[in-house]
Amino acid sequence: MPPSRAALAILALLLVACQGPVPTATPRDELRQVTLLLGYRPDVQFAPFYVAQREGHFAAAGLEVTIEHRQAPDVQRLVADGQAEFGVADATDVMIARTAGVTIRYVSTLYQSFPVALIGAAGEVPQDPAELAGLTIGTPGRFGSSWHALTAILEAGGLTVDDVTLREYPQFNQAEGFANGDVDLITGFRNNEPLRIASRGTEPDLLTLDDLAPLPGPGVVAGDDLLADDPELVRAFAAAVAAAQAEVIADPDIGFAAAEAEVPTIGEDPETARAVLDATVELWEGDQFADGAVDRDLWADAYETMVRLGFIDGSVELDEMIADLSGT
Amino acid sequence: MRRLGAALVSLAAFLVVWKLATVIGDYPEFILPAPEEVLERGARAVASGVLWGHTGATLLEVVLGFTAGATAALLTGIALGKSVLVERVLSPYIVAAQAVPILALAPLLHIWFGGGLLARVVICALIVFFPIAIATMVGIRSTDPLLDEMLRSLGARPAQRTRLLEIPSALPVIFGGLRVGVTLAVIGAVVAEWAGASVGLGVLINIANQGLFDTKLMFVALAVLAGIGLAFYGLVVLVERRLVTR
Repeated sequence: MPPSRAALAILALLLVACQGPVPTATPRDELRQVTLLLGYRPDVQFAPFYVAQREGHFAAAGLEVTIEHRQAPDVQRLVADGQAEFGVADATDVMIARTAGVTIRYVSTLYQSFPVALIGAAGEVPQDPAELAGLTIGTPGRFGSSWHALTAILEAGGLTVDDVTLREYPQFNQAEGFANGDVDLITGFRNNEPLRIASRGTEPDLLTLDDLAPLPGPGVVAGDDLLADDPELVRAFAAAVAAAQAEVIADPDIGFAAAEAEVPTIGEDPETARAVLDATVELWEGDQFADGAVDRDLWADAYETMVRLGFIDGSVELDEMIADLSGT
Repeated sequence: MRRLGAALVSLAAFLVVWKLATVIGDYPEFILPAPEEVLERGARAVASGVLWGHTGATLLEVVLGFTAGATAALLTGIALGKSVLVERVLSPYIVAAQAVPILALAPLLHIWFGGGLLARVVICALIVFFPIAIATMVGIRSTDPLLDEMLRSLGARPAQRTRLLEIPSALPVIFGGLRVGVTLAVIGAVVAEWAGASVGLGVLINIANQGLFDTKLMFVALAVLAGIGLAFYGLVVLVERRLVTR
């Protein structure tokens, strides 16, 4: 004899009652909604943010994070204007933006090593920057971290941009120019362009800034208003990102799996994407991963370098460009 | 004089609306600077000389690109207008080329053509080509058949009919294409500079926007580009008034 509907309903109620309270993280409607602006397109290099999202680091910090992608200068402007809470930006750009009145501060380090270097064919990259004189160098343009790195390297060799021939590739296709034989060297990201050059059969070599004129790498930025109104939120966000980044450094597979779900182009060439991630992990670590801490001494040296190179005029103090989250 | 007065009133109204937007919106200057701030930045850029080199480079690209693109477009348009066979053969390529975003193609053209002035002129000429070629074709085809028949009956050769009848009667339409083309030439020059250049107003926009976070300087460069577009448009209109009798 089939059970009656009433009996089934009673049974269902009993089952529900026996389950007891369901353990929950912060309820979704209690999470603070924030927007994070990353570079212009999804990329495996943003794996810590994907992991923080996927593995619940953001939620554990009480955050529901919406990730959007914007061009570099727009990231700084939108964060300063309060249209987004957080962004990722080059440290050298933060110095210039801040000097220009864009009210952002660098709150957490992502890259322990400056990611831009001069790149060329093995055996053809001078290791003494003074020997760059007379060479043709391809670079995206007279802006951004590539330009800052190039001028800093030249200065370390007692040179200026007038001592080399520049060829500009604003679409960031200087690797194609190099492959075409149009330039001797290019500026590029140590975790990207060398792989592109190697994929065309040329063994790459690098001249990095590390021992010449160290500069801080890209990091997380937040607006002055947010830092003043809710420093705890900024601290929680930075801690969540650092925890996720440490997780990816310890096990890049976790980062790659999270990135595969977020970056549609990885499927086209997963081997290269994985190589980019592995090279990026090395840059995140540098000498030692520091959980996002901002190295004030490095910033002070870089500040002097940027003043000397004429990128900033020194009218804005260094302490207005970075935030000490431990003290706020 | 009345025309100049209307233009000045229009400009004043534009500046007032712009100023109101900055006041009501209370935007920081790195989002939307006020007109007087842009004017002051422009004066500094002129005084420092930073504007001259960039403006000169863009002007050269516009003139060369427009001249090359318009010349090729006029010749092609005449051929398209006079021969159905030529139209059937060429028009798919012309339309397809127009449908391809020049922004996507420009970095490749930059590399193919050596990355110098030639590459930028080619990019500029390509963007100018389509509206002028199509306008010329339409204009040639709109020739009065009775007049054409009359010339034929008088024994005029094809080249004579083109020179004496088809081109003059097509001029109003051709100038419509030239008006569009000359403004596109300014855009073409900037796109070409964004594909690769060391100097030019497009380069200055990139430097101001991405390198200096100087929104006011970016607006100055945009204003100069708008001025160049207006000046060349006005020049085309002047030539049109002299050549076209209505």
